[in-house]
Amino acid sequence: MSDVNSSPVSRRDFIGTGAKLGAFLAAAPYVARGAAGAAKADQLNVALIGCGEQGRILTNAALPIPGVRFKAVCDIWPYNLTRTERLLKKFGHEARPFEDYREMLSSVSDIDAVIIATPDFMHAEHTNAALRAGKHVYCEKLMSNTVEGARSMVVTARETKKLLQLGHQRRSNPRYQHARDRILNGDRLLGRVTNISGQWHRAVSDDYGYPANQAIVEAKLGKYGYANMHEFRNWRWFKRYAGGPMSDLGAHQIDMYNWMLGSNPRSCMASGGTDYYKTHEWFDNAIAIFEFPTKDGMVRASYQVLTTTSAGGGYHEYFMGDEGALKLSENPKYTKLYREARAPEWDQWVAKGIVASPTSGEGAPAAVKPWEKVGVKKLGGPSKSAGVDVRETAALSAWDIPVTLDKAIHQPHLENFVDAVRKGTPLSCPGESAFATAVTVLKINEAIAAQKTLMFKPEDFVA
Amino acid sequence: MNEQSSSPRTEYGYAFLILRLWLGLRALFAGLEKFESKGSYSFAAYYENMGRMATGISGASFLPLWSTKLFAFSIGYLLLVFGLTLLLGIKTRLTLVAHGLLYVALSFGLMVVQEAEGVAWLGMHVVLTVGALLLVRYNRFAVTRD
Repeated sequence: MSDVNSSPVSRRDFIGTGAKLGAFLAAAPYVARGAAGAAKADQLNVALIGCGEQGRILTNAALPIPGVRFKAVCDIWPYNLTRTERLLKKFGHEARPFEDYREMLSSVSDIDAVIIATPDFMHAEHTNAALRAGKHVYCEKLMSNTVEGARSMVVTARETKKLLQLGHQRRSNPRYQHARDRILNGDRLLGRVTNISGQWHRAVSDDYGYPANQAIVEAKLGKYGYANMHEFRNWRWFKRYAGGPMSDLGAHQIDMYNWMLGSNPRSCMASGGTDYYKTHEWFDNAIAIFEFPTKDGMVRASYQVLTTTSAGGGYHEYFMGDEGALKLSENPKYTKLYREARAPEWDQWVAKGIVASPTSGEGAPAAVKPWEKVGVKKLGGPSKSAGVDVRETAALSAWDIPVTLDKAIHQPHLENFVDAVRKGTPLSCPGESAFATAVTVLKINEAIAAQKTLMFKPEDFVA
Repeated sequence: MNEQSSSPRTEYGYAFLILRLWLGLRALFAGLEKFESKGSYSFAAYYENMGRMATGISGASFLPLWSTKLFAFSIGYLLLVFGLTLLLGIKTRLTLVAHGLLYVALSFGLMVVQEAEGVAWLGMHVVLTVGALLLVRYNRFAVTRD
C-alpha cells in the first residue's frame, strides 16, 4: 500500500514514458543512419561529362565549393580528358577517366550529380541518361539545339524526381539578383520599363585547331556523331551540333529578359546571316526583336550578336524605363545604373544601400590628385554652347550597383545547385524555366529562316 | 593742373595699389581655404588638408615627408600673414619678396611631382609678384612706408 502510494510513477506516466521509449527505440536505427548521413552529407560526389573549355571553367568554379568531390570525368577526346584529369589530381581529386558516358554512369556507383558541358546536340542525351541513372544534373545552356530535346530533359527530370539545373549562371549572380529584386521590381527605380536592348559583340577569331598527333580517328568521331575533327573542334558554327551565336551567347542574355521581366515574349522577328565567315554555317551577324507583354504594359526588346567586331561596348543587357535605366553585364566595367532628370532623387536609395554614388569612372567626381584638397569644385566641363538643343532631353545621372561578385562567375550557380541537392533549397534555373528560355532563343533562328514575325502561344513555353 | 594730376607716378601708384590688393586678397583667401573642410573652418581641418598635401607630394616625389610637412604646416599661416600685410601695406617690399619666394617654393613642390598645370598656375602668381616688386616704389595708402 505504502509502496504503491509512494511510487512516483502513476499508470498514466508509465504508459506515456513507455510510449516515448518505444518510439525512441523504434527510431534509433534511423537516427543513427541520419547522424552518419549528416557527416557524409557535406560531400557531394560529382562527375563531369565534357572536358572542353566550358567543362574546365565549370570544374574550376566547382573546386572551391566545400565538399564537392570529382569522382569521374568523361570526354571522347583523350587530349581534353587527360588535361582535366590532371587538373583535378592537382587539387586532390582522383577522378576516373571515361570515354563513354554510359560506362561511367554504370560503373561509378557513388556519383550524386553530373555536370554536363558537351556540345548542345548532346545535352538531351547526356542529361536524360544521367537523370535516369538516378543522378542530379547541372547542364550547360542552351538546354538543347532543339525544342524537342529540351522538352525531353524537363520530362525526364519530372519523371525521375531528380534535380535539373541549367547553366544560365546570371540568375545566381548577386548583382543580377539585386538588380531584379530591388532595382527593377522591388523599389522600381526604373519606373515603367518600356524597352530592353542587349548585345554581345566579339571580334573576328580563328577557328579552333588541334595538335596533329591528337586528332581523333574519323571512325570514332562518326560513332559519337561528328563529321570530322574540324567540326568536332568548331561545333558551335555548325547547325547539326549547335544553335549558333544566338544560342551560344544570346541565350545567357535573352534568359535575363525573361527572368528580369518575369514574362515570356509573344512575338519574335529577326534578321541574320553568315556574312563574313566562309567556314561557318551559323550566323555571324544576327538581330532579333521581341515583344514582351508585362503587367505594366508592352516591353519591346532587341538583341544583337556579332562575331565580326568587338566595337559598340562589349556585352550587356540594358533595361530602360521612364525614370531610369539599368545596364547590366557579367563584366562590372560594362555595368551602370542611370537616373532620368525627371525622376525623384535617389538619395534615399543610396542611404538604404540599393544604389551607390560612383567613386570612379562614369558619374564619379573629378579625380583628386593625392596632394589636392578634397571637395573643391573645379571650373571646366562642357561649355554652354556645347549644351543640348531643343530636340535633346536632359542627361541622365550615372550611379553604381553596390553589389559585387568576388568569385568565378559560374561558382554561385554551382553553389545554388549543390545547396539544392544537399538542403532542398530552390534551384535558380530549373528545367521548366530554362525550357522557356530555350523556346525563346530557338525561335530567333526560326524567324530568320522564315523572314517574318513569328508568334508564340503561352503553351509553347510549357514542357 | 591736368598734366600734374595725370603724371606717371600717380598712374603707377594706382596700378600698384590694384595689384597689391589683388595679391593680398588672393594670399588671404588661399590661406583661409586651407582651414576649410566641408564648409566649416578649423585647425583640425587645416592639419588634415595640409597633411594630405604633404603625404601626396612625398609619396609622388623624392622629397622626404618631414620636409613637406614642415612646409605644408606653415604655408597657411604664412599666406594669412602675407595677405594681411599686403592689404594693409605693412613692410610691403619685404612681404612681396617673401610672398614671391613662397610661390617659388610651392611651384617647386609641383615641379617635382610633374604637375605642369599647377606650375603654370603658380607661375602666374610669381609673375604678378615680380610686377608688384617693380612697382613697389609707387606704394601709396600703406600703413608703413618701406
